[in-house]
Formats: sequence, C-alpha cells, structure tokens
Amino acid sequence: MVHLMHEYLDEELSAEDEKKLKTHLQACEACRTHFQELNRTIAYVQSSSHIQAPENFTQKVMNSLPNEKRKKAGVER
Amino acid sequence: MELIVKKRIKQVLKGDQQAFGEIVELYKDRVFHVCYRMLGNRHEAEDMAQEAFLRAYTNIHKFDVDRKFSTWLYRIATNLCIDRIRKKKPDYYLDAEVSGTEGLTMYSQIQADGRLPEEEVESMEIQESIQKEISLLPDKYRSVIVLKYIEELSLKEISEILDLPLGTVKTRIHRGREALRKQLRTL
Repeated sequence: MVHLMHEYLDEELSAEDEKKLKTHLQACEACRTHFQELNRTIAYVQSSSHIQAPENFTQKVMNSLPNEKRKKAGVER
Repeated sequence: MELIVKKRIKQVLKGDQQAFGEIVELYKDRVFHVCYRMLGNRHEAEDMAQEAFLRAYTNIHKFDVDRKFSTWLYRIATNLCIDRIRKKKPDYYLDAEVSGTEGLTMYSQIQADGRLPEEEVESMEIQESIQKEISLLPDKYRSVIVLKYIEELSLKEISEILDLPLGTVKTRIHRGREALRKQLRTL
C-alpha cells in the first residue's frame, strides 16, 4: 500500500490502482495516517518561504569571470 | 524565458560578457535557493551558486542549445553542492546546527522588534526545523527532494540533471519522502 501511495504522489498510479488505494484508505486508519503524514511532509517542504540570492550577487559573478574574454569582447566591439 | 536565454547565450558566445549578466539576473534566485536547500547554510550556498554561474560561463560553448538551459544550469549547481557535501562530511552536521542557530538569532531579533505576528514567527521556526530536517537527509535523497519539491522539476528532468536512471530517481524520491515523513511527523 505504501508503494501505491508513492506512485500516487508521483502521479503515476493507474486509475484502477488509484481506486484500490482510495478504498483501502477508507478502511485502514494506519494507512490513512501514513498517507496524511506524507502529504503534510510535502506541504511543509514546499512551504519554504521565497528565498532570494544575496545582494550584489550578479555583480560578484561578473567580477569573477575571466578577464581575457572581457578584453576580447572590447576588441570585437 | 528559454528564448531570451538562448539569445543571450549566443551573445555570450560572440564575446559579449554583459549578456551573461542578464542570464545571472534571471536565474540567480532559483540557483541560490537550490544551493541553500542542499547545503543548509547561506554563506556556502552563495559560494556554490557563484561557482555554478562561473562554471556555466566558462563551459557555455558546451551547452547544447537544443536543450533546456535551466536543466543544464541546475545540473552544474546540484553537482557542485553534492561534491561539497561529500568533501566536508565530518563537520557537515555541525553546519546544520549552525544554520539552526542563525534562525534562533533571527528569531530573537524579530522578537525584539515585536512587530511580526505570532503565526509568522511560528512558521519561521517551522521553516528552520524543515530546513534542518532536509539537511539531515542523506545527500542522495536530499538532492532529489530539493529538485522535485523546491524546483518542481519532473522526474525525467531530475534523472537528466543527476544522470540517473528514472527508476533510481523514483526509488530515491520514495525513500526520501518516507525519511522526511518520519522526521517531520512531530512538527
């Protein structure tokens, strides 16, 4: 059953197996709890607040790029 | 987005370094986010994200324009983070604790301001716990969980980024979810 839960979460469960899983979940409390915990885990992981790169990130990357290319670019222009 | 990026890549290939800056602007937050979730530490995440862009730049001629640029870029960032984790395994858990401490400091600062609603502080604490649990996952599970749930990539894309068969990716996601479920059920 746990395997079916994971297949379901990956959206790879056939309609037939999905029905089987749902019927079982209605009848079995242990599996129902397990399934709820999995869903809650995913919700927690996805709830992570929006994370932004630190300030001046782009400038730092640009400063770290090899110099010769920069010179070459200048010549070509 | 991919179209603009491909145009910029062509410019970079012609020697226009500034065009690369626009690529960095477009992807910096997402690349940083991936690194942060993988490493659990902002400082290291910044180093790795910087390094990922630098490598993307120096290897840009190897990028196959018929493929998705973001997949290629995440692959560089993910591999760098995995290498980093492997190299510094012994003090890795210490770092995870440090990231928890940062959260506490942040928490006390906010509390001193006294302006943030209780539930937000609470959720920030939860955020820290989630981050801590993610960083405690073995790296083979952590990388797939981060790519699937934080980057929202498909199983196929993950298998490309990590160079793993689809079946292995699925197994790791299943095990990673189970491990996290056990760790997070008490939250």
